Amino acid sequence: MSSRGTPSRFLASVLRNGLGRYVPQLKRISIVFSKNAQSSLGVRDFIEEGVVDYAKKNPGTVVYVSPQICRIPKVVAEYLNGNVREELVTSKTAPQISELLTKLANQSGLEIMRSANPSTRTTPASRASGTRSPTGPRPSAPSGPRSRTLSKDSTLSICFSSS
Amino acid sequence: MASGFILSRGALPLATQCQRVCRNVSLTQVREKKRWMKAYTYLMAKKLKLEGPPPPKPRSQQPLWDYHAEVQAFSTRLHENFSQELLKTAFVNPCYLQAEQERRRGLGVDSETIALVLRDNIQLSAKGVSFTQSLLTDWCRASFPSLPSEGVESIVGHLTSSTVVTYVARNLGIEELTMSAEFPVPDDVLHSTFMAVIGALQESSGAERAGFFLRDFMVTQLIGKDLFDMWKVVDPMGLLMEELTKRNVALPEPRLIRSAGASTVLPLYFVGLYSDKKLLAQGPGETLAAAEEEAARVALRKLYGYSENRRPFDFSPQQQHQQPLIESVSSN
Repeated sequence: MSSRGTPSRFLASVLRNGLGRYVPQLKRISIVFSKNAQSSLGVRDFIEEGVVDYAKKNPGTVVYVSPQICRIPKVVAEYLNGNVREELVTSKTAPQISELLTKLANQSGLEIMRSANPSTRTTPASRASGTRSPTGPRPSAPSGPRSRTLSKDSTLSICFSSS
Repeated sequence: MASGFILSRGALPLATQCQRVCRNVSLTQVREKKRWMKAYTYLMAKKLKLEGPPPPKPRSQQPLWDYHAEVQAFSTRLHENFSQELLKTAFVNPCYLQAEQERRRGLGVDSETIALVLRDNIQLSAKGVSFTQSLLTDWCRASFPSLPSEGVESIVGHLTSSTVVTYVARNLGIEELTMSAEFPVPDDVLHSTFMAVIGALQESSGAERAGFFLRDFMVTQLIGKDLFDMWKVVDPMGLLMEELTKRNVALPEPRLIRSAGASTVLPLYFVGLYSDKKLLAQGPGETLAAAEEEAARVALRKLYGYSENRRPFDFSPQQQHQQPLIESVSSN
């Protein structure tokens, strides 16, 4: 199936993150689970074993642990750009949850979608490939292989892409 | 009006529902098909349609919120050593203080027990504004030595404008920590809060750290921005002539270099500017005048060192900046 119809964006980061300094983008994570339910067994294990280590490892993230009466335990991650991601952790084991939380901490919070072709140019192409240049060949530069392949006559311009 | 109508229409079923609900919950638990549920859901959906969705609630009023932990995480996240007192003061806006005092007065308790012991961020904000202004101006002067003062002013004005500052502040999570009377936080309040955060950083860890903070979060917004998007020059040719006479270079002569499709709806002209028979710059355009103006802009960008293919800004981390300084000091 072709992916042309699906939404896409260019690879980007929030606020040029990492150019000056790296700011971890996960600002808040809340773990909602039940004290009794069978489906929260793994979450309870994780809270006993790993949640303190996780909070120490990510000091820029506030970790909330909230026991509620619920059947479906979940992890709610809030990112700096305002996006909120909710992940259901029904019947997951402690290592699986730990893996999921690490993944959430490493993400940027931008929507996950198909990445558009990363080769971009800010100026539009002067002409479509395979067509003649509207203004004929460029004025001959002092050096460079490209100018040598061009003919001087503007009406007989050679196509860059085909040669 | 509309909701009143709905209530009066739904009053009868609602009253019976209440009875049913009460009976179900408190007295006898009857496990049956909840036949009242359909009418209730229908009513609520109708109400939502008439009244619209409820107004947004600030994150601080939603469950799971610890202000102290959030502020601490904020400073850790940015790798800065804020003094917590100053940082918390920086988030308190005067409008919030006023609203909060009025709210407490309205509660009807005597004023001594409910006195508000908070300072507002006016001083920090003023400090941050002046620091930002001076630092960005210095940075622009150092990076583009040949740019005239109007150009520097417009670049600094763009960086400290409300749109850029609020964009940066929202993406740093400052909006949620801001204490403001209104929600969503208005742009000017967010602007002053961001400036107050910079002022607090300058007070708690010094001007150098605050400078790096500005470089990492504000100056990066300049990437990919064109000079003349920020600096509106109406007559670039006149400015170019002024600059060239200042430098004692011969005045530019516009010449048509190339053209195509002159009789079509999409004509294209390339105008080159020659000074003393040397090509200064060339620019394209749909008319001769537009092409000449574009060529003048290209020439100005080259003169000011703001061309598209200039050397990128230096955003290397702070340690690498300090080391050569120390070495040079020790070698002297």
